[in-house]
Amino acid sequence: MKTKNLDENLHLESIEQPGSGSKLLVLLSFFALIFAAIPFFYLIKGAFSGELDLIKTVLLREKSLEIFATTIALMSCVSVVSTLLGVSLAWCLHNVNLRSNSLLAALVILPIAIPSYVYTYSWMSIIPNLQGFAAAVFILILTTTPYITLAALAALRRSDRAQLEVAQTLGLNKWRSFYFITWPQIRNTVSAGTLLVALYVLSDFGAVSLLGVDTFTRAIENLYRGSFDRGAAAILALVLVAISAILITIESNTRQRSKVISTSSKLMPSIAESNSGRSRFLASLLIGLYLIFALITPLLQLLLRFISALPSIDYGNLFRTALSTIFASLLGSIIALLLALPVGLLSSQASKIGSLTDKSLLIVHALPGIVMGLSLVAFGSELPIVYQTVALLAFSYALLFMAKAVGFVRTSFLRVPKNLMEIASTLNQSKAQSIRRVMIPLATPGLLTATLLVFLSAMKELPATLMLRPTGFETLATEMWSATAILQFNEAAPYALLLVLIAAIPAFLINRPDKSEESGVNIS
Amino acid sequence: MTSLEINDLSVDLNSRRVLKNLNLQIPSGSFAAILGPSGCGKTTLLRSIAGLITPSGGAIRFGKQLVSVSSLVLPPHKRNIGYVPQEGGLFPHLSVAENVSFSLARKISDQEKNQIVNEMLELVGMKGFNDRSPQELSGGQQTRIALARALAMKPAMVLLDEPFAALDQALRVDISEEVVALLKKSGTTSIMVTHDREDALVSADVIALMRGGTVVQSGTPAQVYLNPISAEVALSTGDIDVIPAIKLANSQYSTALNEVNFNLANQPAANLGQILIRPEEIAISDEVTAGAVTAKITKINYYGHDALFELKVGQSLQSIRARITGPSQYRVGDTVSITHNGPIRWISSEAHEVNL
Repeated sequence: MKTKNLDENLHLESIEQPGSGSKLLVLLSFFALIFAAIPFFYLIKGAFSGELDLIKTVLLREKSLEIFATTIALMSCVSVVSTLLGVSLAWCLHNVNLRSNSLLAALVILPIAIPSYVYTYSWMSIIPNLQGFAAAVFILILTTTPYITLAALAALRRSDRAQLEVAQTLGLNKWRSFYFITWPQIRNTVSAGTLLVALYVLSDFGAVSLLGVDTFTRAIENLYRGSFDRGAAAILALVLVAISAILITIESNTRQRSKVISTSSKLMPSIAESNSGRSRFLASLLIGLYLIFALITPLLQLLLRFISALPSIDYGNLFRTALSTIFASLLGSIIALLLALPVGLLSSQASKIGSLTDKSLLIVHALPGIVMGLSLVAFGSELPIVYQTVALLAFSYALLFMAKAVGFVRTSFLRVPKNLMEIASTLNQSKAQSIRRVMIPLATPGLLTATLLVFLSAMKELPATLMLRPTGFETLATEMWSATAILQFNEAAPYALLLVLIAAIPAFLINRPDKSEESGVNIS
Repeated sequence: MTSLEINDLSVDLNSRRVLKNLNLQIPSGSFAAILGPSGCGKTTLLRSIAGLITPSGGAIRFGKQLVSVSSLVLPPHKRNIGYVPQEGGLFPHLSVAENVSFSLARKISDQEKNQIVNEMLELVGMKGFNDRSPQELSGGQQTRIALARALAMKPAMVLLDEPFAALDQALRVDISEEVVALLKKSGTTSIMVTHDREDALVSADVIALMRGGTVVQSGTPAQVYLNPISAEVALSTGDIDVIPAIKLANSQYSTALNEVNFNLANQPAANLGQILIRPEEIAISDEVTAGAVTAKITKINYYGHDALFELKVGQSLQSIRARITGPSQYRVGDTVSITHNGPIRWISSEAHEVNL
């Protein structure tokens, strides 16, 4: 800030313009960006470390093209079906009076706590010869649908019901009302959910490995483990990152062009509008079938296997593994929050630097766990003090899920009414004091949600954990994986069940409708 | 307590000039109302005074202290102003007592803080509400707590941004009277932004009328009501009729109201203009004598305490309105005689073009 002495001998300051941000925040955001750049640096370094001919050979061999086609086909099938299924489930939960809509919504979202490899394990223990592309599509649809349902449900809860009612009074039937009024309002959120699904499929390692489907992640793992040919693995990883980055760019551009603004000053309360028997039957059928496949069957199978395994459970190891999982995931989520805070705060203040940093960090979304593992192994090998430490593992979790955390942090800060910060500044509070006394307390629920989200994701993370965990350090995911890989389904059951149970807690908390919308206080 | 002086203030927002060379003086200890329609820049003016907006030009002084010159400004937290926004803007995560004591310095002991909080709550008639959360308060109570919060810091000036806009009509009148009385009693210079002319006329010592990003007229409520500088300004403080008129010699004017055969034709342009008449300055009578100007009642808008008559005058068919208090025996279609019992507010056609 520049200062100037005037004739009146008073110090006046040029006020901080929107877009400039404070220097400390800019500096901290810059650090976050540097940390995020580490895996990319080592990935590019690994890919270009060998001869250029290697790149040509790896990219143009027939197997690579086959892997490319399989990955794209799998991603497309899962994204389309999950989006249709997820939006349908959300629409039913929001619009059809099923008597216990809140409970059903919680149950439909709960599978978000079950990682793809647990689903695969459950279904493989029912159908032992479950293998191939169709099986992978089936498993990944079950895994990813909650991401769409969660996004669509949140968007429907925020949608302007007054517009819908006006449309219906103007003669539009339910389908046309949905297409012309509701869909434009939820489209952006749903497309963000679809992007998450596509990225999930691209980065999935557990399901495709167990089901024997050759996608990029499996090929990278094979190259890394089989031949220790890290150059070839890095080249394939770079292609995978490029595909993810293209998807993120396309989705981001589409979203920018299609912003829809609610015209009502207050949103109408959410009321399930359809009470007809036919609607209820169809909605119950859809939700029931989804719950049978995505929740009841896998959990029942896990329980049965768990009961079978009861006499041989090593409780000491189970407890130690649970603690290790919680410790590493918690550490990762705290690091992610610390990295995300300055970026989210800067971005929420209409700062150009913040927005740029925020967008740059989106690219971290494009890093699948296996690629992160590969890059940080290279990083660790040059910095032995961190190699094979829990700190490096937690750091990988933080980087993997930082973009998610930044989104939540930014939204939490944006939801703090700007006028409250202004009022604080007129009440003798400096900007830093206003942030500490008003913004952070009001954003705390969102910040906790961000931490929980990273915690949940880190607990389920498998490929990076397999590569980066210290010798002798096991998580619930790696223990379960080791047992499943050699078809010891009973031995895997306690770890899988505990993983799902712990992950279900944050999943349940994240899904709670926002209570602040029901608050009576005028804060805007 | 301090005076306010604004000179040539200009503010640009999103490449649009919102305030244009605005000048305003508010005497120390007075209650001022900034009155204007939506979009005229009154909230921008208030935010500039608070330091929440950086002006592109001009100067703002609190007494002798310069707080803003060109794009150099004293930050809001160093201005010692109390700000009461629309709907109170209470911090939802803090109790009533915590809201009220928000601005008090950390070096003040808890005992002193409690004492100030209790004094302020008593002042705004909310004694005993210390532990309530803002969610438990009604709209009017939230406004009162916001005022207590602003006054707790003993501000040099209080700024109120349409503080009663969200309240229903009955509550609004009561709360508005209470708040204005409190502020006047405290002797704090107060500036209230409003688009409600009754709010402004009833409560303010000084009214500043804004149009198109500038103050077009300021003065006491009586001054701006009785001596508006243009028809548009007159309209912002009450109903007004604009009557075509001819300027005669000896400061006399001819209109359809004082001349049966009023005719604008063949008059020199320099003599043409308008006369502004408030409806309450028109008297009507059912006694139609020879030579009196007559009018036919075309519509009656009944408001309970009074009624607004719309009339067509004689042969000219000039429209005019008359405000009649108390019960009336007139009906639509009646012919009555009319007389103008108010001051002559002459606006020449040239001035009219400039002012409108």
